[in-house]
Amino acid sequence: MITQFRDWDLNRHAYAKEWKERTGGKVMGYFCTYVPEEILYAANILPVRILGSHEQNDVTEPHIFGMFCPFCRDCLAQGLKGRYDYLDGIMIAQSCLHIRQAYTSWTKHIPIDFQYYLPMPNNVQSPHATPYLTAEYIQFKEAVEKWIGKEITPDDLQRGIDIMNENRSLIHEIYNYKKMDNPPLSGEESMEVAITQQMVDKREHSVAMRKLLDEIAAGGKSTKNTSGTRLMILGSENDDIPFVRMVESVNGTVVTDDHCIGTRYFWNNVEPGEDLITSIAQRYIDRPACPSKDWIERTRIPHILSIAKEFGVKGAIVIQQKFCDPHELDIPAIIKSLNANDIKTLFLEFDVTVPLGQFKIRVEAFLEMLQEDDLF
Amino acid sequence: MAKEFWRWKEYNWKNEDISWKNGSTISAGIDVGSVSSQAVILVDGELYAYSSMRTGSDSPKSAENAMNWALDGTEMTMQNIHYVVGTGYGRVNVPFANKTITEIACHARGANTMYGPTVRTILDMGGQDCKAIRCDEKGKVTNFLMNDKCAAGTGRGMEVFADLLSVPIEDIGPLSFEVAEEPPPVSSTCVVFAKTEATSLLRQGWPKNKVIASYCSAMAHRVVSLLERISVENDFVITGGIGKNIGVVKRITDELGANTLQSKYDTQIAGALGAALFGRALAEKERK
Repeated sequence: MITQFRDWDLNRHAYAKEWKERTGGKVMGYFCTYVPEEILYAANILPVRILGSHEQNDVTEPHIFGMFCPFCRDCLAQGLKGRYDYLDGIMIAQSCLHIRQAYTSWTKHIPIDFQYYLPMPNNVQSPHATPYLTAEYIQFKEAVEKWIGKEITPDDLQRGIDIMNENRSLIHEIYNYKKMDNPPLSGEESMEVAITQQMVDKREHSVAMRKLLDEIAAGGKSTKNTSGTRLMILGSENDDIPFVRMVESVNGTVVTDDHCIGTRYFWNNVEPGEDLITSIAQRYIDRPACPSKDWIERTRIPHILSIAKEFGVKGAIVIQQKFCDPHELDIPAIIKSLNANDIKTLFLEFDVTVPLGQFKIRVEAFLEMLQEDDLF
Repeated sequence: MAKEFWRWKEYNWKNEDISWKNGSTISAGIDVGSVSSQAVILVDGELYAYSSMRTGSDSPKSAENAMNWALDGTEMTMQNIHYVVGTGYGRVNVPFANKTITEIACHARGANTMYGPTVRTILDMGGQDCKAIRCDEKGKVTNFLMNDKCAAGTGRGMEVFADLLSVPIEDIGPLSFEVAEEPPPVSSTCVVFAKTEATSLLRQGWPKNKVIASYCSAMAHRVVSLLERISVENDFVITGGIGKNIGVVKRITDELGANTLQSKYDTQIAGALGAALFGRALAEKERK
C-alpha cells in the first residue's frame, strides 16, 4: 500500500529533479519545519526539506563543530557532497544554533541562486511573536517575489494555504486509523508517508494519501504485524526507518510520535484570520513546539500526554540526537511526566548511524517490561 | 604456547539430593553471552544442575556444549526437558530453545531467586557490557540502563588486564588490596586506553598489585556512574562474572555506600537461572 511513498523516499533526489524538469519550477531546500511552505507553494516553488543520509561522512569536520548534533552534520554533508545540486534556493527559519550552523556553512560553501535566513522567534509565547513573524513573512514574501520576478497574490497565498491544509488533514486521517487496535499501517509505513510529506509536491502527495485512505477504507491492511505493544516515539529529529523497522520486528508497534518528521510537522492547520499572512504566521506560532521554542511555559508535556492517551500508548521511546541541547533539556521533564502517567520510557541516544544490535536488546527488554505476562 | 592468564576455569555442578525422575517440570535456561555461556537445569524450580563455559565463535555450538556439560552425569537428555529458554547475546542462536528472553529480564528474575525478594537493584557485569537493572519484589524489571560504546567496566576488560600483568584472573581481586594505599584509577572510558596507561605505569615502576588496584578502582568508578543514573535502591546485588571479583565488588559498594547481599549461588549463572525459571513458568502455562 505504501510502495509509492517508499519509492519517493528512496529516490527523493531523482523525484525533485524530475519535478523540476516536468514543471519548470524552482526547488527550495529548507532546514527546519518552521519554514512557511504555504508562501513557497503560493510562488509555485517546491519546498524540499534537507535531510541526512545516515552515512558516516568525512566532509563536514572543517565546517561544523564536532559537538554539534549529528543530524546537522549529516544534512550539511549532503550539500557538500553535491546531492542537492538541483536546488535553486536554500533557506532556514531560526530554530536551534546547530542547524543554523549547517545552513550558514551551506550558504558559504555551496553556490546557490537564492538564500534566505528567516528570523522565526524563539519566544513564541510572547504577545509580540505573531506580529513580529507576520512582518518577517511580508519581507520574505517580497524577497521571493523579487527572486521569481512575479507578484504573489492573495489568491496565490490562499492556494498555498489550501495545498498545505489539505495535505495535513489527510495525514491526520491516516494517523486516526492508528488509534485502532491492530492499525492498518505499521509505524514504519506511516513514517514513510510522513517523511515524504517533506520532499514531494504536496498536491501529488495528497493524491497518493487519498488512494491509501481509499485502500484502508476498503479493508486494506499492512502485511506487517501491527498488534505489538503500542509505542510512541518522540524527541529530536528522527527519520531513521531501519530503527522503527527493528522496533517493530521485535513486536512493538509505533502508533504515534512527537517528531518534526511526524505530528509536530502536520498537527495544526492554518485557520482563517484577519489576513492570510497573519493566519499563516499564527499557525507557526501555535504549532506543537520544538523544545527550542517551548518556554516560558513548557507546553510540550501536556501535548505529548494528550497524544499518548489518544493513541492508547503503553510505552514511549524517547530519542535524542547526540548533543541536541534543546531536547536534552526537555527530556528529563518529559520522562518524569510520562512515567507519572503510567507510560514507561526507554531513552536512546542517536548518532548518524544507529547501532541496531545494541539498541535491539534494549528495545526487547523494554517491551518485556511492558508485557503483562504472569511469568513470576 | 604462552600461558593465558585470562582463562578462567570452566565448571559444572549437579545437586545429588534431587532425583530428577520424580520431577513434574524440568526446565532449562541457556545464557550464551559474549564471553561465557551457562546452562541451568531446574527440577520443579529447584536448582538441579548447571555449567559454565567459554563461548566460542559458534553460538549454537556453545549453547550445545554448555547444555551437554550441565547434563553430564545426570542420565537426563534433552528429551526430558520440558521447556528451554535462551538468553544472552547468542539467544537467537540456541537451536533447542522454545523461547528467547533478554538477559536483562533473566538476570532480574535470577537475582530474585538467588538473593531473595528484597532485591531492588542489580548490577550485571558481563563479558562485554554491564547493565544496571531495577526490579520489583517478583523480580520483574521496572527500569534498566546499559553501558554503551565501549567495553570498559566489563569482564573482557579484566581479562585483558590479567594477560597484560600475567596474573591469573581469579587472583586479581584479592591482589588488588595488597597495596599500601589506594592508587588513582586509570582511564575509565576505554579498555584500550586503560591498557596503554597501565603499560606506562609499569614502565614507571609501579608494582603489579598497584596497577591492578588502579584498574579495579577505574572499573568500579565507571559502573557506579551508571548505577547513579538509575539510582540505587537497596537491596543491591552484583551478578555476572565480575560479581566474583572482590576487588571490584568491594570498591563499588564502598563508593556507593551500599552493601551487597551474599548468595549461596554462583553469580555467573544468574541469567541462565532466570531463563530456566521463566522456562518453568512457560511450561506450566502451556499445560493449563
